[in-house]
Amino acid sequence: MRETTEQLIARVDQGLGRAACELVLASGAEAASVRDLMTEVALGFEAFPAPGVAALARIARETANAPGGEMAAKLAQLEAAWNGWKAAQFAATETPVEDAAIAVPALVSPQALLEVAPPAPQPDPDHASGQAFASTDDEIAMLVADAELAGMFIAEALDHLSSIETLVLQVETQPDDVKLLNDVFRPFHTIKGNAGALGVTSVQELAHRVENLLDLARSGRHTMGAAEIDAVLKAVDLLTTMIQGLTARIAGQPAPDVSGECGDLAALIDGLISGEITEEAPKVLASEAVAALVPDVASSTPSPEIERTSGAKVVARPQTRGAEDSLQAVKVDTRKLDNLVDMVGELVIVQSIIREDPALARLVDERLTRHLAQLKRITSDLQRNAMSMRMTPIRQTFQKMSRLVRDLSRKSGKTIDLVLGGEDTELDRKVVEDINDPLMHMVRNSVDHGIETPEARRAAGKPAQARVSLTAAHEGGNIVIAIADDGAGLNTERIRAKAIAQGVIDANSDLSPGEIHELIFRPGFSTAEKITEISGRGVGMDVVRRNIEALRGRIEIQSVTGQGTTFAIKLPLTLAILEGLLLRIGQERFVLPTFSVRESLRPSREQVHSMQGRRRLIQVRDTLLPMIHLSELFGATGPLPEPWESTVVVIEDNDRRVGLMVDELLGKQEVVIKALGQTFSTVRGVAGGAILGDGRVGLILDAGGLVSLMDKPLDQAA
Amino acid sequence: MSTELDVMNQAVAATSQLVGKYLTFAIGEEEYGVPVLKVREIIKMMDITQVPQVPHHVKGVINLRGKVIPVVDLRLKFSFAEQAYTERTCIIVVEVALPSSNVMMGIVVDAVSEVLNIAADEIEQTPEFGERVTTDYMKGVAKVKGKVKILLDLDRVLNAEGVVSLRAAA
Repeated sequence: MRETTEQLIARVDQGLGRAACELVLASGAEAASVRDLMTEVALGFEAFPAPGVAALARIARETANAPGGEMAAKLAQLEAAWNGWKAAQFAATETPVEDAAIAVPALVSPQALLEVAPPAPQPDPDHASGQAFASTDDEIAMLVADAELAGMFIAEALDHLSSIETLVLQVETQPDDVKLLNDVFRPFHTIKGNAGALGVTSVQELAHRVENLLDLARSGRHTMGAAEIDAVLKAVDLLTTMIQGLTARIAGQPAPDVSGECGDLAALIDGLISGEITEEAPKVLASEAVAALVPDVASSTPSPEIERTSGAKVVARPQTRGAEDSLQAVKVDTRKLDNLVDMVGELVIVQSIIREDPALARLVDERLTRHLAQLKRITSDLQRNAMSMRMTPIRQTFQKMSRLVRDLSRKSGKTIDLVLGGEDTELDRKVVEDINDPLMHMVRNSVDHGIETPEARRAAGKPAQARVSLTAAHEGGNIVIAIADDGAGLNTERIRAKAIAQGVIDANSDLSPGEIHELIFRPGFSTAEKITEISGRGVGMDVVRRNIEALRGRIEIQSVTGQGTTFAIKLPLTLAILEGLLLRIGQERFVLPTFSVRESLRPSREQVHSMQGRRRLIQVRDTLLPMIHLSELFGATGPLPEPWESTVVVIEDNDRRVGLMVDELLGKQEVVIKALGQTFSTVRGVAGGAILGDGRVGLILDAGGLVSLMDKPLDQAA
Repeated sequence: MSTELDVMNQAVAATSQLVGKYLTFAIGEEEYGVPVLKVREIIKMMDITQVPQVPHHVKGVINLRGKVIPVVDLRLKFSFAEQAYTERTCIIVVEVALPSSNVMMGIVVDAVSEVLNIAADEIEQTPEFGERVTTDYMKGVAKVKGKVKILLDLDRVLNAEGVVSLRAAA
């Protein structure tokens, strides 16, 4: 049975790699394994009829028979000759030397090498079999023996897979960029090498298959089309599953068996390489049944400029190319970071309590005052620093969306251009985690329900290629993340009809488009005509909104039927610190976030007007604003002070201004926000608690909630 | 008063590893017990910051060494008549298992009694009390030294505080 060139290369590469490792420790008895390896390699060469191979066989034999001291030199000679032969085979112009060289796995400890690695998997003529990818107990033996080694291998491999995913999406738009192709090839090569040295054959074999494809691509012998990208992405998924499964298997738990899918993928890759399979490939990979795919997939070599009939294009703006960040970074256990941030928060509070201590106020000492001021400065800086450590750019989350949009659009046959903006915008780490699911859900909705099929779009006079944009920006005290599509927009008629059918609104009620849009946030609401596996189960938008509100954020909709929809998620900039205006109402003190405050004034009687006997209005320059008192909003009864006897603070939420009557303004203060907890999750108008200088808790007011209380007082609350 | 508290805290700390130990406290004429494992500490009555739109028995929040925790008045929760706080009134800080996580809460009680080691033979099944006291809240009844202690299922008692209904005011 004759090997293909690829198979020979694979086997010899691996053999030489292991020989190099074992030679590191070889002495006397151990060298025997190296000799055996070399004999095997020589046999392989001798069985392979091709020019130049005979010479390789000779050197291999010499290496096998060389005296111990000369083995290393002989091996080096063989490696050099081998590299030369490989290079000649491909006539490659740009093969980086280090990649052509034998991969010496960096991770392996000498102890691990002494154990005999299982034999290299035999070239399997029956590619469709998943046998080569089956997980055996043998293959995790080394990992079980050395937990630290296992941990490092798994972590590194997952890191590599994550960067591969990002890079390969770029290959789709720049299929000829050799540097990019190398950047994708190298991590697969590394994973293969590491897995091989550790004996994890299932991972090694799959990585090897993909590596073959990429090797051909980077030497210009195969073009990476959409089908190839699909294959690579599928490989990333399978490898991720397998590697994550290792953790479970090491602990003796079962892990998912993907060997069958690996076999299928290997067959697909072979088909792509041999040219038997072309663009139709995606159907092979789709494991779930999907509603009608676009039937006429005509072109096979899409050009970058013209629209493609299937597939998605991802345009990411600033640089995301595998360039290593020039910043130096360290890995820190996040629990340590959280502890640090908590402790700094406590420090700020205690420092504040000391400064406000009346005993201290009685001491008039210039030096003391200076030191206290410096203490405050340093503590504030420390706090700002600690907070910023929790911040991370939203880039990674956005890039996950790239992958999602690509997969969704290929499954649904729609052409979608995903535009990202503001990926550098930083958010608190926890927010980034928590925003992931809501964002994914909304992107799915956009693609599924918002974007029309290419035919429908053309019929509507829109470009067949739809556009979804995902942007993040700082705005005032908030982060705004917007998901916009130029699809069909929310269908107000259908929403209205559904709401009436569900008994949510009265058939006669007259709602503005904005109010109709808000209805989609009701639990169990979905106007999707059919449920796909993607969305439409009606579980979604209410959960999305709750998740966002749990982050003290808000979600707003803007939609025009026929033109598109934009969802805007507004989140507070930091979870923990707030600059607030301290105010007193009665005996209680409250904190009002300064970004909600527009101005404050002591109105004169002439500026106060009343309406319907109850509602008071205040005239500020040329505008009349409604006035509210906290006790009214919070349901207390009893006499209220007159506006001209109070200070009125003008607060703004969402372009609406309201005058809040307070007894006294106590000054500005930076406070650490403490969440009140589940017990108070439905309280409106209160965003959290702050520990004030004297140790008591002051409620932090939320302008939006206060305004909504004014519109919909408690007794009418839905 | 503070030495009493210290002794109490020490007793709680010393016995918290053992099952079957209960911290007993009084509300009006009745005595209740909660497993010592659930008790974090006992603090003197302090100013409570009120929070709007909550049921009457949710008094508000306090600052417990940097953490803001809710405080529930058990007397009001059990529908007894409200009474002024005395110098014996305490807040017992307990850990409660809510559906999504464990949280710390404070419960206001008239007075704290002692830590009792309640043996199995002293515990009886909850008798039917009718509608006055919801027996859902009780894990059982113990009879120690001739006095009846009602053993509370704290998670049940305070679970309703996990989600506050806006219509609670009605």
